[in-house]
Amino acid sequence: MTVTFQLNGEDCRFHGDPMTPLVDILRQERFLTGTKAVCREGFCGACTVHVDDEAVPSCLKPIALVQGCAVTTIEGLSSGNHPLHPLQAAFEAADAVQCGMCFPGMVMSLSAFVRDNPHASRPEIKAAMVGNICRCTGYERIVDTVADCLDQARKAGQLVGGVHV
Amino acid sequence: MSELSATVMNLPRRDAQDKLRGRTKYTNDRIRPDMLHAVLLRSTVPAGRIRKLDVSAALRCPGVRAVATGADAPGLYGIGIADHPLLAIDTIRYHGEPIAVIAAETEKQARAALAAIVLEVEPLAPVFTMAEALQPAARLVHEGWRGYEVITEGGARAGNIAWEAKSSRGDVDAAFARPDIRIVESSFTVGRQSHVPFEPRVAIGSWEDGRAHIQTSTQVPWTVRNVTGRVMQLPPGRVRVTVPPVGGGFGLKFDASIEPITALLARMTGRTVVLENTRQEEMATCLCRENAEIRIRSAVTPEGYIAGREAVVLMDCGAYGGEQVFLTTMTAHTLGGNYKVGAMRLVSRAVYTNTPPNGAFRACNGVYNTFALERHTDEICDALGFDPMEFRKQNVLGDGDLGATGQVFEADVLGPMLDRMEALRASTGTSEAKADGRLYGIATTVGTWFVFVGPSAATVNLNADGSATLVTSGVEIGSGTMVQSLPQIVAGQLGLAPDQVIVREADTDAAGLDVGVGGGRTTVSIGAASIAACAEVREKLLRTAGEMLQTRPEDLVLRDGRVEITGRPGSGMSIPAVVAHAQATTGPITGSGAFTARNTPAMSGCAMGHFIDALDIPVFVVHEAEVAVDPDTGHVEVLAYRVVQDVGRALNPRAILGQIQGGVVQGLGYALHEEVTLTVDGRIAQDDFETYRLPLAQDVIPVAADLYEGAPSMGPLGTKGAGEVPILAVGAAIGCAVARAIGKPVQQLPLTPPRVLRLLHEREPPPEFPHIAPGWAANTLG
Ligand code: FES
Ligand code: FES
Repeated sequence: MTVTFQLNGEDCRFHGDPMTPLVDILRQERFLTGTKAVCREGFCGACTVHVDDEAVPSCLKPIALVQGCAVTTIEGLSSGNHPLHPLQAAFEAADAVQCGMCFPGMVMSLSAFVRDNPHASRPEIKAAMVGNICRCTGYERIVDTVADCLDQARKAGQLVGGVHV
Repeated sequence: MSELSATVMNLPRRDAQDKLRGRTKYTNDRIRPDMLHAVLLRSTVPAGRIRKLDVSAALRCPGVRAVATGADAPGLYGIGIADHPLLAIDTIRYHGEPIAVIAAETEKQARAALAAIVLEVEPLAPVFTMAEALQPAARLVHEGWRGYEVITEGGARAGNIAWEAKSSRGDVDAAFARPDIRIVESSFTVGRQSHVPFEPRVAIGSWEDGRAHIQTSTQVPWTVRNVTGRVMQLPPGRVRVTVPPVGGGFGLKFDASIEPITALLARMTGRTVVLENTRQEEMATCLCRENAEIRIRSAVTPEGYIAGREAVVLMDCGAYGGEQVFLTTMTAHTLGGNYKVGAMRLVSRAVYTNTPPNGAFRACNGVYNTFALERHTDEICDALGFDPMEFRKQNVLGDGDLGATGQVFEADVLGPMLDRMEALRASTGTSEAKADGRLYGIATTVGTWFVFVGPSAATVNLNADGSATLVTSGVEIGSGTMVQSLPQIVAGQLGLAPDQVIVREADTDAAGLDVGVGGGRTTVSIGAASIAACAEVREKLLRTAGEMLQTRPEDLVLRDGRVEITGRPGSGMSIPAVVAHAQATTGPITGSGAFTARNTPAMSGCAMGHFIDALDIPVFVVHEAEVAVDPDTGHVEVLAYRVVQDVGRALNPRAILGQIQGGVVQGLGYALHEEVTLTVDGRIAQDDFETYRLPLAQDVIPVAADLYEGAPSMGPLGTKGAGEVPILAVGAAIGCAVARAIGKPVQQLPLTPPRVLRLLHEREPPPEFPHIAPGWAANTLG
């Protein structure tokens, strides 16, 4: 079966088993290894990408279901030398990263969340992270950073990250 | 060292941006289409004898390029004793044990060919528990144990006892016979903990110019090198190991496991071969924190003096000795730590069973021995009517007090740390109000751990642009030592900015021996070797500059990338000018440095079978937890958590606080819900994220932490490792707090809601150890 979709803004065509998980195509055929396949069962969130602007675990997404969709991976969120997404910049500034394996998925999940929930409280941020596991950091610094980002954006009257793909 | 003032604190991580952009290439991101994929045939029985193993049909399957079995790698490896084959030879000892491996063009082809391997196994009666293994008539997990090569001398061994370490100081019998004492006895049992690093164990092997090159996700490149040489029966120098950034280790990657297989297949095929555990394999064969059984007895006077103590600790090493053999050492320093004790004797035994081998996990046996010791301490207080905080203040180790092996501890550290905890609590307030009708408990506990010193080497090359390249075998596993503390230390020594220090990733061909990243040792051991290397660089730099400036080297200082005359900022010349001159006259400026343990003395005759007789750098913690227990559901909510941690000197307080938060949360998982059980056929039942319950964001709370500086340390600039120890006393603090909340003894972890309910309703049977004899000596090999 042939599937066509947009990948980080470019046309992309796949021939093969329509049940192939999206994460395998990203990593093995496109070498977009920022998307991590950690649990492959939808629990950890390390494989999160945006499909038509919605954060989804790419391990649970058969390729056939992205026919005609726009897929954005961590590499597409801020590509080349372009500035980091404000959440990425904030995580860097806060020294939140440890082994780093969970962060691409964390950024993809939370960037969609803050865009849609500019008034989220700390408990709401934590609730939104139910699908993103981190084995290293103990979470709190990540939550603080997201809360600070929202706070600053509210004060400046903006959305975190503005409108993005 | 006076360079502390020149050392930049709170250096941000240089690897953060690439990690956040998804650009960092961990080992498992380096798989290319031209590599062969290896998959393992693993045992589906816990014990058996291989009657037939025929791989010829598999070799003829599409895409298959090589098949290897134990016969291709006959050498045995291990820590202390060489008991472990790379692939099972004749005997199967655990469910999941690798028996054969297939390399094929694709993973799919390799998996398909597994079915073509003919394997006939005669099942043997498995030995699943330490109680079974210690029966006099128990089947031996290793029939040929006597014939194994002993790598480290000194431990007693016999049958299913892989290793026994003892410590004995003073007249314990006399202490227990005193007429004025009360005897308190407690028993504890704990399960395994799975590390769940986000990157599983994975290796990429190639064969280049007659040598193996393994790229792997490991904490111990030199161990991988040496084990690969051993099993392939090659001089270890024919193996090169390089280490990309590691996606989490926590001790799991402190031993070699699958890496040598890739070298073997690369030699057979001439191709680059990748082997990556699936998540299911990773968890089913995780070298977990071991399950353990602990019995501890103390003789205490009415004044609260601990006159005598004895303990037996059984540690399940699973099918092979591995790290548990070494870790028997730690009982002397954990159960024998924390408190002043008149006389004590402790024995720690690593016991073979037909279960997946266990290994090292952050603060290893310290986590459960601290739980046991602190709960026992509370049971002493209950039995004799002491206030638990006052009892601890009275009895914690102070300056000049003796440990179990007769080591003399320096300085009062735990006492002042307890005071600091009270001050921290006063500043944060308590959270009892949040219990809101549930059962409330608060507990303050102490813990003793160590920095695992040992050999490290470093080379510093000073470059013509004024930068310095640091070459070591250190690995960045996420804790930040390679990207924060080492550049901070080197920059401070050479008067550079930290971004002028290039840190080479581990390569056993480029850097000298190192025992690996673990035990909180990188900052200390590699840091100390780096300082020694910098001393040589400074000496050469100042000598050359002295000639150029016609000034004595002792009148020169390194500052802001310049060699200056002392007291005259801006004088002298830039480092690049001095380096250029040196390169043209005496040659490039380099320095090398080395470090190893100081071997702090123990008392003679006190330590038997120990890898470490005394702690060169003890590390202390004080942890306090407040919990609310729901009496209807058994759910434990952690309301507040506070830590006072002995850090020696904090070079990067922000990074240490990040380690404390992460380590405490891993400990909360261990204390409350991370549970590993074995199925009836000896498999680890929790082999995915659905069945193994990791802490989530909503389970955790911010940890309030106070870094205690100034305790003595032989570490560079007075540092101690800070990343290992935050997990040490979490099981203890939670266990003690829950026991107080529910008013019942807690003798087991994790405290899952069903277990807490059973405890509340007195339906949880207390641990019984018929295989631990009442008399202490009967539990030893004499
Ligand atoms: S890999 Fe997709 S959620 Fe874990
Ligand atoms: S930083 Fe390691 S898993 Fe999150």
